[in-house]
Amino acid sequence: MKYFILNLGCQMNQADSERIQSVFGQMGLERTEEEAEAGVLGIVACSVRQKAIDKVYSKIHEWNRRKAAENLVTFVSGCILPADEEKFLDRFDLVFSISDLPRVPDLFRQYGVVTPLSQFTGEVVAPPLPTVRDRLGIATLEPFWKVTPTYSSKFEAFVPIQNGCDKFCTFCAVPYTRGREVSRPSADILAEVRDLVAKGYKSITLLGQNVNSYGLDKKGEELSFAQLLEEVGRFGAEGGHRFWTYFTSPHPRDMSREVLENIARYPVLAKQIHLPLQSGDDHVLIRMNRNHTMDRYRTLVDQVKTILPEATLFTDIIVGFTGETDDQFLSTRKAMEEFRYQMAFVAQYSPRPGAASARWDDDVPPEVKKERLQVLTEVLRETSLEYNRTLVGRTVPVLIEKPDRKAGYLSGRTEGKVSVRFRCDQVPIGSFVDVKIDSAVPFSVEGTLVSL
Amino acid sequence: MGASSAEVRVLANQMLGPGGFLLTFERPNLDFQTGQYLSLGIPGHREQREYSIYSGEKDDVLTVLIKEVPEGLVSRRLAALVPGDRLHVDGPFGYFTLETARKTGDPLLFLATGTGISPFHSFVATRPDLEYTLLHGVRQGADLALTKGFGVGKVVSCVSREKGDWFGGRVTERLKSMKIDPKTHAFLCGNCDMIYEAFDLLRSAGVASDRIYTEVYF
Repeated sequence: MKYFILNLGCQMNQADSERIQSVFGQMGLERTEEEAEAGVLGIVACSVRQKAIDKVYSKIHEWNRRKAAENLVTFVSGCILPADEEKFLDRFDLVFSISDLPRVPDLFRQYGVVTPLSQFTGEVVAPPLPTVRDRLGIATLEPFWKVTPTYSSKFEAFVPIQNGCDKFCTFCAVPYTRGREVSRPSADILAEVRDLVAKGYKSITLLGQNVNSYGLDKKGEELSFAQLLEEVGRFGAEGGHRFWTYFTSPHPRDMSREVLENIARYPVLAKQIHLPLQSGDDHVLIRMNRNHTMDRYRTLVDQVKTILPEATLFTDIIVGFTGETDDQFLSTRKAMEEFRYQMAFVAQYSPRPGAASARWDDDVPPEVKKERLQVLTEVLRETSLEYNRTLVGRTVPVLIEKPDRKAGYLSGRTEGKVSVRFRCDQVPIGSFVDVKIDSAVPFSVEGTLVSL
Repeated sequence: MGASSAEVRVLANQMLGPGGFLLTFERPNLDFQTGQYLSLGIPGHREQREYSIYSGEKDDVLTVLIKEVPEGLVSRRLAALVPGDRLHVDGPFGYFTLETARKTGDPLLFLATGTGISPFHSFVATRPDLEYTLLHGVRQGADLALTKGFGVGKVVSCVSREKGDWFGGRVTERLKSMKIDPKTHAFLCGNCDMIYEAFDLLRSAGVASDRIYTEVYF
């Protein structure tokens, strides 16, 4: 039997999906990218935007219509708000949390799905699944984390290290979908990193909703995030390995000098920092419940530029948040000009179901949000180009990711995640090469292959 | 340790004037730092809301101060709870905590509107000998019942819509007339507009942003 998974949302969901694929593989199910040929159809859902939720409802409506003529099994997992879970239970055959993943073979068997695995094992009566609210508390995620994922890339992997969020930013529903901050045991994380490096992976991203809050839920009983990075760094240095370790998404409140110093110390810890700003205005930050001020953020950026002068700086920004005035937006524009990001993921605010701000008037008109987005994109084009020009004439290591759209070219990224295109006839995808940068445009550079 | 989740029994539900009611419930195995908040919901209902803890760190029970919002999904249900009813509790959360500021020995200034007085009650219940000044803003004199439990002479009541034996006006108007020591640690809790204005006034008075702590009530 074949299965199809529609993966919505962020890298966390991608990492969840990779583990679901492993469990399905062990059950003897075969993956397909073609919905029409699958007998098991599922969605790893995202609750960040209404559009993503609407897609789940649209898909299950379509699949349930197909059920009139076909024998299909449907499931949904991922980030699900309690209110949606109630509706999904009526529409999907199975609704399960990622923490329930190890029990999924039993749940399918209990549901009557015959897989190659179920023919050889005895009947198991699985206890009822916990509700979302049950899971918001002390989530038993350890069995989920023990599942070896089926990585979707041969050289780039995402390693979940932390799940959930205790920050309650008013624009975000994650505390209500993923529950409390829970840190994965560091021994498991380090084992997965070592295994990935042994298999030749070159880019490893440590993932978490608040990745640098790692360990705070287990104060004294687990490594801190800085210590975890140090362990990864030491492993890389002692083994003479070559790979780049990234992490996302951190919260400015929990970013420490120690983290930055460890990144500076170890070559395998990539010199690229993602530091979400969200807004450059103190009043908006208060309304967003970000729990830091612009002064605090500025101090962090100063530390990044002092301790990691080679690092690129990325950010996330929301424009048109509820009540954002022209002056407050101007503060964000000034902040972008001050911090000179190499990349910024700028989003127009839209109410996220379940978040506190979804109860407020979404009072910034769409055309104003769009204009603000364009203004920041222009600033970003300038600051990105400014940085990319500093690369011209330099020879930098590049991780090759894929053939470029331009025939005869490959594309990859620098350690700082700047896109690089260069002419090459060979296709050593997933390996490091040295590229001399010849020219720069906003968001990418072009160069010449120096050595393989 | 981090946040935890539990279902507990309600022990008391007491009106504290028109401004709010005190909901007291069993304390599960839950440590908190004074100033933190909990997320509360009713078993069987899916919505939860966050409320600052009103009781002290060492109290045997937990109490929160809640304003019933006429169109509120959760506060109305919480207002209807009686002793013995079940309550879902997640937490604790938040960074609106006292200790770092208290240990400096610098002046402590608390500003609250309405039920935003709740974490300050927890501060005082935890540290009865605390030296502080609290400016508390309400709309009408009857809401001053919320200041129950604070030391004599420590609270400046600011009533914006009723004349009487109190400061007539908003908290921020009272703040403008005060001489602020730049070393002050200022804790602001309540509605957004008060916090915005007080934040700017304190910054203008030379108080560094890392000495201003905010907790917005929505």
